[in-house]
Amino acid sequence: MTELKYVGKYIPIHDAYEKVKGKLQYVADMEMDGMLHAKLLLSPIAHGVIKSIDVTKAEALPGVVKVYTYKNTPQNLYNSQKWHVGLEVVKDERLFTDKVRFVGDRVAAVVAKDKSIAEKAIELIEVQYQELPIVLDPEEALMEETIKIHDHGNVIMEKEISVGNVNEAMENAPIVVEDFVDTQKVHHAAMEPHICMTAIDSTNGLLTIWTPCQVVFQVRLIVAEALGLSLNRIRAIKTTVGGSFGGKGQPILEPVCAYFTYDLGVPVKLQLDRAETISSTRTRNATIGRVKTAVDKEGNILARDIDVLVDAGAYFTNGEAVTIAMGKKAFRLYDIKNQTYKGTAVYTNTPIAGACRGYGSPQIHALTEINIDNTAKKLGLDPVEFRLKNLVKPYAKDPTGGPELGNARVIDCLLKGMEVFDWKSKYNRPKATGRFVKGVGMACATHGSGYYNAYPDFITMDLRVTEDGEAILKASLHDLGCGTIVTIKQIVAEVLDINPDKILVPEADTLVSPFDSAGTQASRVTFVCGAAAKKTAELVKEKFTKHSADILKCNIDDILYKDGFILNKNNPQAMVSYGDMVMLIQTSLKEDISVSYTYKSPANPAVYGVNFAEVEIDTYTGLVRVIDIVAVHDIGKAINPVFVEGQVQGAIQMGIGFALTEEIVIDNKGNVKSNNFSKYHVINAPDMPDVKVHLIEAGEEFGPFGAKSVGEVSTVPIAPAIINGINHALDINITSLPATPEKILAALNNKKNLIGG
Amino acid sequence: MEMEFNVNGIKHILEVDPMERLLDVLRNKLKLTGAKEGCGEGECGACTIILDGVAINSCIVLAAQAAGREILTIESLEKDGELDRLQKAFINNGAVQCGYCTPGMLMSCKALLMKNPAPTEEEIKTAIEGNLCRCTGYTKIIKAVKEAVKDI
Repeated sequence: MTELKYVGKYIPIHDAYEKVKGKLQYVADMEMDGMLHAKLLLSPIAHGVIKSIDVTKAEALPGVVKVYTYKNTPQNLYNSQKWHVGLEVVKDERLFTDKVRFVGDRVAAVVAKDKSIAEKAIELIEVQYQELPIVLDPEEALMEETIKIHDHGNVIMEKEISVGNVNEAMENAPIVVEDFVDTQKVHHAAMEPHICMTAIDSTNGLLTIWTPCQVVFQVRLIVAEALGLSLNRIRAIKTTVGGSFGGKGQPILEPVCAYFTYDLGVPVKLQLDRAETISSTRTRNATIGRVKTAVDKEGNILARDIDVLVDAGAYFTNGEAVTIAMGKKAFRLYDIKNQTYKGTAVYTNTPIAGACRGYGSPQIHALTEINIDNTAKKLGLDPVEFRLKNLVKPYAKDPTGGPELGNARVIDCLLKGMEVFDWKSKYNRPKATGRFVKGVGMACATHGSGYYNAYPDFITMDLRVTEDGEAILKASLHDLGCGTIVTIKQIVAEVLDINPDKILVPEADTLVSPFDSAGTQASRVTFVCGAAAKKTAELVKEKFTKHSADILKCNIDDILYKDGFILNKNNPQAMVSYGDMVMLIQTSLKEDISVSYTYKSPANPAVYGVNFAEVEIDTYTGLVRVIDIVAVHDIGKAINPVFVEGQVQGAIQMGIGFALTEEIVIDNKGNVKSNNFSKYHVINAPDMPDVKVHLIEAGEEFGPFGAKSVGEVSTVPIAPAIINGINHALDINITSLPATPEKILAALNNKKNLIGG
Repeated sequence: MEMEFNVNGIKHILEVDPMERLLDVLRNKLKLTGAKEGCGEGECGACTIILDGVAINSCIVLAAQAAGREILTIESLEKDGELDRLQKAFINNGAVQCGYCTPGMLMSCKALLMKNPAPTEEEIKTAIEGNLCRCTGYTKIIKAVKEAVKDI
């Protein structure tokens, strides 16, 4: 294999210079002449019908331009999850509602000359509600038939995925281990709160939306559906994103703000504060899970039965999709011949759930990986040894008929991590008997690389070599801070042998970017869009070669590319620069060195991550300190290894919070209690352990240069690894996330009582 | 009220409401939008600037409290077209992802180095304990600061 010049190297994120200087504009930094500011009135109650709404005082306040409610806005139903036009989903959202379904539902908005006037006017809107009984607990939602959050009932969907014969295998199994694991709602905690800006663009008269989004074509579609406009009248422009993690995936503010501009004809900015972002945007779905695993005495898994109840919150969004997605993962990590997954999703009068990094994987793996440890314990086996007996091997089949697993290297990850972490000696060392007790835990996880076999997964790219020998790639790409733009440049640079600095890759804009079916979702960007960039660059090169051969009057096979020049290998002195060659081809052949290509992803290989964690628990306070993490990832090939490490380290920070500290706490009236960063605990620098990242780069057939995904899987194994570490240290069985000091102390007390009693 | 502000070495006489936050004066009146608002309660650090040599959250300081004192924002770090060594180290070590916490993070680190040119890893962590980052897990930020002070 020839040595790679750009792939596999570190190149800083494309906008790093502007970011460190504080010069890069986020939407909050953008201004437009005559721009108005909007503020939302969010429901203060969890469930009720609006009996009356009086906006006269608000409208009378000087500086207020208009007040919006359900009475004077379109009432078209939409579903913010819908990212492509063919997606059939229940539509239950509207710009403003006359029936509020959670604390944070949109009741009204004020558009005013400045933010403080809008804030004052919001206080002057008088709303009378007829309160309805509330359902906060998903289990209650399942049983409760009289309180209907939506007319079609509280159960969104039920779905079963099954292979083999679970009942028979369970009945005959010598050992069956059952666990109940619940996971909480969490906030994405992107540092940039939700925001968007809209205006009518003066050149084309388009309703234009500037938004830190993940899918511009989804923004355009949702605005079109909500406002009843044709797609051609709307333009969505992806701006710099101050973090998303799925939280800005679904258009929330965009259709609302777009309507203000559509109605008033002037620019409007709509910005949420942190409390509004926590309670009224999207959360990770909470789950209540039950799992039963049957094994033989040697530690081979015979069967598994999983039942998960998913809390979708007050609106449908992706409640169904995430419930199915989490089920599919259960069949792609261990070789289990008999397995059933049953997923049920329900509405509750709580904040709306949506996409969140890992999309169901963190929840399903918390359930199954805690249970895998408990099963190993029952067998008297080292949990690593137990996993080694059952993990999938490369090119194993998905028993449900799902996409091929591909070059699945989870065993390599596990063996590597075991060695680096020094697992055996740490796992077997005697426990401390004093106040502070250390333990170790580990967990494995899988995720996907795109939508192939589930949803349309294609992207069109236009690539052109310019007259001065540079290149421009037009594609609907969204850099969320992960380094997508540079990653794509590295791939194109490698194929065309052009310095990445000379390749222009603008971000997504529906007016100028060719169509893309799915945006930055589903861990598809490097695997699918990267492969599209590679293929498009290869086609450009093929065209360049063919025409260069015409110009140099030689065979195609005689053409060589060298340091920005093209030459005939039989006449190497006559070197022509890329730019000159483009000019010669234009002049002599009337041809353009450009290609527009639609790449359809042919695969969706599994990726794997294995985390090892060392924890120390203060048995007096129940506080857990994570001391050390080793994260090993089956990545295929790292296009930019520093970006990959950055993804993993950030994902671990998120996962530690999921395991220990982060929770959207809701009181018995449906109010979010943890609606700021003093009550919602994001892990900070002193609490963050050193994270050692190791990569298994064994290549994946359809990935660009062998690459597959990492951005989501990296946040999956950490929480169960930490929980398993706590359980190992204290010989308890925590199965409820987050493992707060209260839960740990209660488990310790329980253990003492059992021993004492 | 008319007040004098010394921002990045430049004096500005500004008409300021007594209740106006320093962050709003910097962002809206002086168009220094490097400092970001992430929480408005002094919990996330995205709005960190340096006031008389100390890193502070400009979202919980009234502009009036900063009048007449020395204010440094992220826009002051680059000198004559040359990035500060902290800025360079952030770029070279992959410490920048989405970038929203970056200006505040850099200012906390700058304030640390102004007082303590050779901080330990623990001191670096303490200096940025009030700066939340959701992208990097802090690892590369800490590495960048260590690299920036290595040659001193």
